[in-house]
Amino acid sequence: MSRPTVAFFELASCEGCQLQVANLGEELLAILDRIDLVEFRELLTERPDGPLDIAFVEGSVVNAECEARLHAIRQRSELLIAYGSCATIGGVNAMANGRPISEIQAEVYGDQAERFAAARVRPLHQLVPVDYFIHGCPIYPDELIKVLKAALAHLPYNIPDYAVCVECLLNENVCMYEKKVTCLGPVTRAGCNAWCINNGNVCYGCRGLVSNPNRAGAEAVLSRYHLDSRLIANKMLMYNGALEPTDE
Amino acid sequence: MEKIAVRNSGYQISRGRISRVTLLTETERLFTIVLQNNETLDHDPGQFVEVSRFGVGEVPISICSSPTRRDAFELCIRAAGRVTAALHRLKPGDEVGIRGPFGVGFPMTPLAASDVLLIAGGLGIAPLRSLVHYIIDNRRDFGKVDILLGCRDPQSMLFSAELEFWRQRIDINFLCSVDSAAAEWEGNIGLITALIPGVNLDPFKTIAITCGPSVMYRFVIAELLKKGIPPAHIYLSLERHMKCGLGKCGHCQIENLYCCQDGPVFSYPQIKNIRGALE
Amino acid sequence: MSGVLLYKSELCGLIHFLVADQTVIAPVPLTHGQFKFAAVTTLEEIALDAIPTLLPPKKYFLPPQESLLQYDTTQGEKMQAEVAIEETVLFGLHTCDLAGIQCLDMVFADRPKDLHYMIRKQHFTLIGLECNDYCDSSANCAMLFNHLPKGGYDLFLTDLGDYYFVDINTHKGDLLVEKSGLFVPVTPAAQDNLQKLRQIKTKRFKSEIPIRYQDIKPLFEASFESNVWTDIGAKCLACGNCTNACPTCYCFDIVDEPEFDLTRGKRLRIWDSCQHENFARIAGGENFRKERGDRQRHRYNRKFHYPMERYKQIFCTGCGRCSRTCMARIDLKETFNALIEECR
Repeated sequence: MSRPTVAFFELASCEGCQLQVANLGEELLAILDRIDLVEFRELLTERPDGPLDIAFVEGSVVNAECEARLHAIRQRSELLIAYGSCATIGGVNAMANGRPISEIQAEVYGDQAERFAAARVRPLHQLVPVDYFIHGCPIYPDELIKVLKAALAHLPYNIPDYAVCVECLLNENVCMYEKKVTCLGPVTRAGCNAWCINNGNVCYGCRGLVSNPNRAGAEAVLSRYHLDSRLIANKMLMYNGALEPTDE
Repeated sequence: MEKIAVRNSGYQISRGRISRVTLLTETERLFTIVLQNNETLDHDPGQFVEVSRFGVGEVPISICSSPTRRDAFELCIRAAGRVTAALHRLKPGDEVGIRGPFGVGFPMTPLAASDVLLIAGGLGIAPLRSLVHYIIDNRRDFGKVDILLGCRDPQSMLFSAELEFWRQRIDINFLCSVDSAAAEWEGNIGLITALIPGVNLDPFKTIAITCGPSVMYRFVIAELLKKGIPPAHIYLSLERHMKCGLGKCGHCQIENLYCCQDGPVFSYPQIKNIRGALE
Repeated sequence: MSGVLLYKSELCGLIHFLVADQTVIAPVPLTHGQFKFAAVTTLEEIALDAIPTLLPPKKYFLPPQESLLQYDTTQGEKMQAEVAIEETVLFGLHTCDLAGIQCLDMVFADRPKDLHYMIRKQHFTLIGLECNDYCDSSANCAMLFNHLPKGGYDLFLTDLGDYYFVDINTHKGDLLVEKSGLFVPVTPAAQDNLQKLRQIKTKRFKSEIPIRYQDIKPLFEASFESNVWTDIGAKCLACGNCTNACPTCYCFDIVDEPEFDLTRGKRLRIWDSCQHENFARIAGGENFRKERGDRQRHRYNRKFHYPMERYKQIFCTGCGRCSRTCMARIDLKETFNALIEECR
């Protein structure tokens, strides 16, 4: 069986997800047996420009340059996989969407602002068709492997559509609310095996909202813990600032 | 942890080899499957099997061939999800995993010697086809046979060549109606329920079996009751996601009933008061 | 079968005896007054005063994820059904959890039998521990008579001060008592003390909800269209924690996990929840329990109504886990009271 050609790309991002892939260890060797890895900035120097079977794209679209690059990648590749919150939901970059872009440019670049083009931050699927989504900041390595297997087998991957609480309880963590700490687990979609909470942190909502969340119910829970729902909305904006009403 | 083999596990599959794939419509294909290792399916019309491809998953599919034709069996599969789409990519010679048959099929004992009224909507023709073939192969064991079929449009009609053969038989009364069709369509247009009043039947000698989307059932049952058919002579097949087939996983549960073990074929009195069965 | 005594000074020795040739599982403390079942090697690790653990002991009999079969498709659809087993002692099971295990046994032994569950279960030794008083106010064990031992164990310990009264229920329990050499014969005083404790317990444990056992099923039959379900649905976040935490919930999904070569892999059974939105959805897109309220009603009926018809048994153990774990505070006792109020 000929090995599919796979490349990893990055738009506006910290490349932390690429680092997760580079850190896969023995699993990475198993992956490399099955694919022909042709581009990966953190591991390879080559930059070929031939056709691809699978393109992994990290990062969000923040200006015309990113947009052109994304379209070019889409044209080259049979499948496109958005990986990492920046690519799937806009991620931390999209915090910028809450304010006028010129204001932010001026604040960051001062009088050099016009030399740095910037536009509304968008996740990939708002510009090109995306075949698979791997949420998370950073991505959860086990899920990347599941998605890659699905892509190699030409099968769809179903992202869990229940809250992080499910996986958190399966790990028998004491609930953060029990500890009087705010956690976005109840409204965030699972698939990360409650990775952060298992390690003593709270859930920051990096995988995006569950679809069809019970908003009124969630607000009632928050008010019971005397939490202002605006506080939670702000916390939610840390990752979800680029969502359009049409997005899941 | 030590791993030990489980003999006679309810989850073990039989290997089935696809001997033929027939394109029925854009979304439905008919798979002819031969079990390997001299196994036979030995099913009742109305039962279903779990079909799988390892690495993809399992789906429940009703058997659409008759047990009277033993060398192979047939499954009519609509590409509606992840597993069925993958099954559609298979070719003759490929293998699938088969578990089953599962569940309660059509009431074969009371059916024998009765008049039979079969009412199918859309894909509901698939399980009923198993019964039609069984009746054709044992025609003298049954009384008068009426078959009513309804579907969206002529293009979505399944087994159309075969339906023509049923229509031409003098010992079967076959009627069909489509929801909408182009001008050249010569058959009936309208809901299937409109065909029921015109059927000439003896309500006390008739057993009616209906199979189709759940929205159809209330209307069909109402028409059958109007014809004077006793409720206990009305049977229907319910569609749920039977994941394990063993009455355990909970996905196909309707109140206290497990569709996979207690059904999928139920008599109307059995489910009449079960809320959530007919909605 | 009969009773023996185990002096508390010998409990350490019992654990030592058990860990010698098998895995011992017992409740261990977490923070914030919570507990979980975990492997232990010494008595010190065990929380003898544990309230019901976050997850019930079903996680050992019906693991959250288990391999049902291994497959290899290099030459057709070949497979081997399998079960992972381990000689294990579950120590410190309360009467509610024992009742939960008895319910699961009933389901998986019901035809068609689930041999994976049944084979694994044979490798467990169950040692119960009586609750002399309530764990907390979420529990509703007394209304279901689950505050008292009703079998389902090999050995059952009741704390009577300096010693445990030990009820032996099975041959396996008998052998354990004999081999360990740590138990002593029952004295008339011990018999007497056990009776006294049970009398005290009858006063301490009162039916938590004003309803008789035989009226429970009719209550749910009468309340199918109740507004209580709509109210609960409005609160429910559909996270499914109530079902994961429930000792008698056993719904599952079956998924394949291929290895990287895509030809070999495992068919897995994983926990699923009837509270998840797509649980009762079919391929055509129709969803038979679309509303959160419908799904909560289904959960309650699966505890108090449907199993009464199928198994002549209520599938609630009274452990209180569903109420304790629910972020939205859907409380079992409150639900009952609302239904009773409405039917009055």
